[in-house]
Amino acid sequence: MILGVTYDLWAFVSENREELVDAALNTLKVSALGILGASVIGVTLGAARAYRIPVLSPLAAIYVEVIRNTPFLLQIFMFFYALPQFGILLDQFTVTVVSVTVWGGAFNTENFRAGFEAVPQRYREAGTALGFGRLGTFRNVLFPIGTRIALPSSINTYISVVKNTSLMYVIGYPELTTTALNIAALTVETLEALTVLAVFYLALVWSLSALIRVLEGRLALPEAR
Amino acid sequence: MPDWAEPVARYILEEGLPGTLRVAAIALTGSVLVGVVFGTLITIRFLPLQALIRLYIEVFRGLPILVTVFIVYFGLGEVAPQLEFDPLGAAAIALILWGSAQLAEATRGAVQSIPREQHEAASALGFGWIGRHRNVVMPQALRRLLPPGVSLCANIIQNTTLAQVIGGLETLEAGERSVERLTAVPPIGLGEIHAFEIYGFVAVIFFLISFPLTRLAAYLEKRLIV
Repeated sequence: MILGVTYDLWAFVSENREELVDAALNTLKVSALGILGASVIGVTLGAARAYRIPVLSPLAAIYVEVIRNTPFLLQIFMFFYALPQFGILLDQFTVTVVSVTVWGGAFNTENFRAGFEAVPQRYREAGTALGFGRLGTFRNVLFPIGTRIALPSSINTYISVVKNTSLMYVIGYPELTTTALNIAALTVETLEALTVLAVFYLALVWSLSALIRVLEGRLALPEAR
Repeated sequence: MPDWAEPVARYILEEGLPGTLRVAAIALTGSVLVGVVFGTLITIRFLPLQALIRLYIEVFRGLPILVTVFIVYFGLGEVAPQLEFDPLGAAAIALILWGSAQLAEATRGAVQSIPREQHEAASALGFGWIGRHRNVVMPQALRRLLPPGVSLCANIIQNTTLAQVIGGLETLEAGERSVERLTAVPPIGLGEIHAFEIYGFVAVIFFLISFPLTRLAAYLEKRLIV
């Protein structure tokens, strides 16, 4: 039999089941860490931008523009190949989590800034009238309402974070894309590997998109409904 | 400036950048053509056609672009030998699939945002479907497509770097090869690592192209809302 002429998806999946499951879990793990980190950065710097906090706000603006206007692949190269020049050696896992976090954090800063700024002025005034200070108004008024306004755009960023983990192929972190293609490189089951990747990512991305629609309906502000 | 800097900069700008711009130009043209046509056709109430275009949009917006690049580069040639492409060609095709899906969705929104009265007025003037769209609906819809079109342009230019993964000579690959060459032991290289300087230079190139575009997109969006 000539190699690569047969297509047997089932054999590919069952023979490499453990490796593929581990890899898929790695994808989910680094995605989850990236989403978490991007949320923390986004809320913090988004609030700094919305409140125009001196020094921090312009620095956050520069950070956002640099990340948004340079290729993500180049950012990975910077972390993995350029940092060691300064004695900072990060392993594949760390570079993966750091790069998706830094990337998602920049986009989330914009998402949350817009969300916080979209909270009607009268809500803030109501917070002040209730005796909350600046921090109290943020925690009890701006944060819960602003993050809800920012929800659709931030989930879109999270979906991109998940998809971006596939680029870790270039540094060899064993998430799904790296693993499936490495198996394919040995067994010449390229089409099977590509099928597994397509099905996995589409299932994941489509579920997250469906989640947006559910959450949008449930968490929309009463007056926007 | 150290001695190695000038030849590296020349190599990146003369060998790498043209590759980036060529892929971006092809990808942008293809994305606009396919995206606008698909986005307009999906507004026709004909279920099989709508379902097919919807599937196309959801698949290519859903897949990581790198996976689409691999499907085009490794997968298509496996299915049919005449569908083998060089790295830059494969990247351009993958970017067209992704970009057109993005633009089709934006076009659908823009076309559907044109009030029904405009369609009715055009029909009253005796225009058929094609005349109505060509003379009345599309001129208005295309204006609304300008901001997403400009941001897509910036995104496409950044995503041309995915060609690097399959070895296509574009700006990032030119930078990568330069880093490797300098790292090699003499007499081939210098035995020095200059990754930060070289990738920094590549970052500046992309920033200078992309920043004006994202600003322009934001400006157009603000102006069109008013």
